[in-house]
Amino acid sequence: MEKKKIKEVVKGRYAQIAKQAQESCCPSCACGSSSLLQAKVIGYSTEDLEHVPEEAIMGLGCGNPTAIADLQAGEVVLDLGSGAGVDVFLAANKVGPTGRVIGVDMTEEMVDKAKSIARDHGYHNVEFRLGEIEKLPVEDESVDAIISNCVINLSPDKSKVFREAYRALKPGGRLTVSDIVSEGALPNEIKSDSNAWACCIGGALEHQEYLREIKESGFENVQVLSSKEFYIEGEGSQALTKLLSITVRAYK
Amino acid sequence: MKKELMQILACPVCKGDLELKVDEEKREEIVTGSLYCSKCNYSYPIVDTIPNLLPPEQQA
Repeated sequence: MEKKKIKEVVKGRYAQIAKQAQESCCPSCACGSSSLLQAKVIGYSTEDLEHVPEEAIMGLGCGNPTAIADLQAGEVVLDLGSGAGVDVFLAANKVGPTGRVIGVDMTEEMVDKAKSIARDHGYHNVEFRLGEIEKLPVEDESVDAIISNCVINLSPDKSKVFREAYRALKPGGRLTVSDIVSEGALPNEIKSDSNAWACCIGGALEHQEYLREIKESGFENVQVLSSKEFYIEGEGSQALTKLLSITVRAYK
Repeated sequence: MKKELMQILACPVCKGDLELKVDEEKREEIVTGSLYCSKCNYSYPIVDTIPNLLPPEQQA
């Protein structure tokens, strides 16, 4: 499938979600139903969630609580694919007034929503910008930590995303991402289905390939911090495909 | 966007420095303006405080 088409479909889908015309990233998954409950199931602590605007918690994604827990006061953090901003606000509470959190998202509706939530709730240490995670609008070596929650799978060019993340990080900086990967190759009918891409499945890389791409971008000490499996049914065949929701940390 | 964030901003294409032009500023925040990359000769808009740094081919 053409890269441009994937981007258009993904952008369109998330624009709809931002406007709440659609509640979940895909009709088949339950990630939009009771977003707060979903966020707790994902592993964010109740205490952390109590201190972020509820409208930012859309319950999308696989959750990246470890990345949030890791942040230190004063750090500069970049969130790839920040959506309505839940992780940006969680991170902002951790880095405090001397830190900065920047969210980058390619969907205008999501950035607008995140920005107005930040304004309504008086967050002064957050910034949102429209941008692509394959072409990050930030200086080399300017960020302490990069976080991303179930977004990189949506990119048609993952190695570019990891290379850009590496470039933007300061030496010693860290990348902590959660994402969907597959165990074994995905069936072609899923890979070529743009709907499956927008659902965070069609673009899922094979587990080992995902880790290899991170390493090949220059990262060291690549570790899988958590892994949770689930299955999807193949349409044509009866075979089940095993998917994993993983959290990976890597250092520059 | 806030001015201080200029330090870490770069052109998404060439990663070069951006020149800030302010049209409207409110409480230390730039509401409208632009970010110009002289290398690419391209101007990225700032609309309603949000810099649009999508690459030129993705700009609406």
